Amino acid sequence: MYSSSKPAETAKISVRAARPLEYYRKFLEKDVRPDGRELGEFRPTILNIGCISTAEGSALVKLGNTTVMCGIKAEFATPKTEEPSNGYLVPNVELSPLCSPMFRPGPPGEQAQVLSHFVNEVLNQSCCVRKEDLCIKTGKLVWVLYCDILCLDYDGNAPDACILSLLAALKSTMLPAVKYNEETEKPETDSVKTEPLHILSNPVSSTFAIFDDHLLFVDPTVQEESLATGTVTIVTNDNDLCLVQKPGGSPVTADQMNTCFERAFSRSKEVLRLIDEILHSIER
Amino acid sequence: MFSCYIVTFCSPRIRKTSSMAGMELLSDQGFRIDGRKPKELRRIQCRLGVFNQADGSAYIEQGNTKVLAAVYGPHETAGGRGKALHDRVLVNCQYSMATFSTGERKRRPRGDRKSKEMTMHLQQTFNAAIMTSLYPRSQIDIYVEVLQSDGGNYCASVNAATLALIDAGIPMKDYVCACSASFVKDCPMVDINFLEESSGGPELIVATLPKSSQIVFLEMNSRLHEDNLSKVLDVAVKGTKDVYQVLDNAVRDHISEVSAFHKLDQS
Repeated sequence: MYSSSKPAETAKISVRAARPLEYYRKFLEKDVRPDGRELGEFRPTILNIGCISTAEGSALVKLGNTTVMCGIKAEFATPKTEEPSNGYLVPNVELSPLCSPMFRPGPPGEQAQVLSHFVNEVLNQSCCVRKEDLCIKTGKLVWVLYCDILCLDYDGNAPDACILSLLAALKSTMLPAVKYNEETEKPETDSVKTEPLHILSNPVSSTFAIFDDHLLFVDPTVQEESLATGTVTIVTNDNDLCLVQKPGGSPVTADQMNTCFERAFSRSKEVLRLIDEILHSIER
Repeated sequence: MFSCYIVTFCSPRIRKTSSMAGMELLSDQGFRIDGRKPKELRRIQCRLGVFNQADGSAYIEQGNTKVLAAVYGPHETAGGRGKALHDRVLVNCQYSMATFSTGERKRRPRGDRKSKEMTMHLQQTFNAAIMTSLYPRSQIDIYVEVLQSDGGNYCASVNAATLALIDAGIPMKDYVCACSASFVKDCPMVDINFLEESSGGPELIVATLPKSSQIVFLEMNSRLHEDNLSKVLDVAVKGTKDVYQVLDNAVRDHISEVSAFHKLDQS
């Protein structure tokens, strides 16, 4: 760490550290945030699809500084007796001490478990992958897709980055073609032919932070998350609302919720355009 | 991209066919499976300062093996004063493999015996290289994450951790560079990939301090005749010197980029 000799710089650093709330209020009075973003502006999003060749599908998302990687591995499994033609989708989010000093080594902490549950809910509610599509032979053999989401650099807004990386990875997943041999009761995998996964819908998440009980801004950084008095997460599914989560925190009026919904839908269009662009560029 | 191995799926036990029938580790013309010459290293691409939260971070790609390293510290010892060492810094490592990093899904990313062994090796390696007496009662955390594994995991981890430590500004006696070597058909081969590792031949992994050519870590698997040991060791140590060149260039490029950015900032 180097210290600047200019007095104005040092004053700025000390105000930010000692009185972060007032520092933020000064900016929010002018409807802008310290990093120059407007209240409804997301951080620049970078997406890299298909980076891990050992995984059936993979994607790396950088939402500002928050970096999340999702890897999809496919394995065989026997289906449940009560659902003989349903495959499995098993998401898991990992927040390791690698990504931030906030997380301690050991078993998954509260935030990681909550995020894993959130991703599972989104997958179930949005039905973006039909479990019937993962069936190879009813009652005998199905695919299980392990979606492992690994946070590499935590700078706030993990839910949005996780859902985006998961969607991008699922869209780029290629499963080997399988035939079930009736006589030997063993699957036969084609080592060359692969089929893409059929994605029915596109869930996209937008997270808002509530500040000072009345202001809402989108895509909080880790410092903004620590100052926020509440969060709202909205997951849209093409033109429908898929999931809305507002876990306690400051109360919000119906009008503010409506603005959030509108922003979430516009974000969904931006994100889907980005994913399509990248998938097309890979195919070429 | 050359696909190095074919995995046949079958549940619950998964068989791995590690080489196609008739493919040899070293062809008659002297080329290896991936087209390299025996003394040739895989292509190394690396970047420093990839993460924002960590004090120092680095990303390295050695062939198809992709490894990330993040360093936090020096900071106060976590777990109270009980674990702190009074005269030197506590180096805490964690080696973790992403579940999607191997052909077969890895059920336990960390905490299994192999990861714990790797963690201990990394800890011992860096205890020797970092100037530990400068930060008594403190702790340095080194986290290594393997995103894609194609052989040479330990070597790539050590190289990545070295770059991350340099990025964090932690004083070290020298770079720590690691390289592996094997011996096939009377020919020592350097920087072996997953297929060559799993073929059953001898595998020598060495980590050195390149300027003084001192060996920090050495591990040897399988059988190797004593007459061949010095040949293989020489080839591996030469490999670490080559790795050192690449890492040093990367560090110098990074520093000139960062200092140019700061000069612009202050003007």
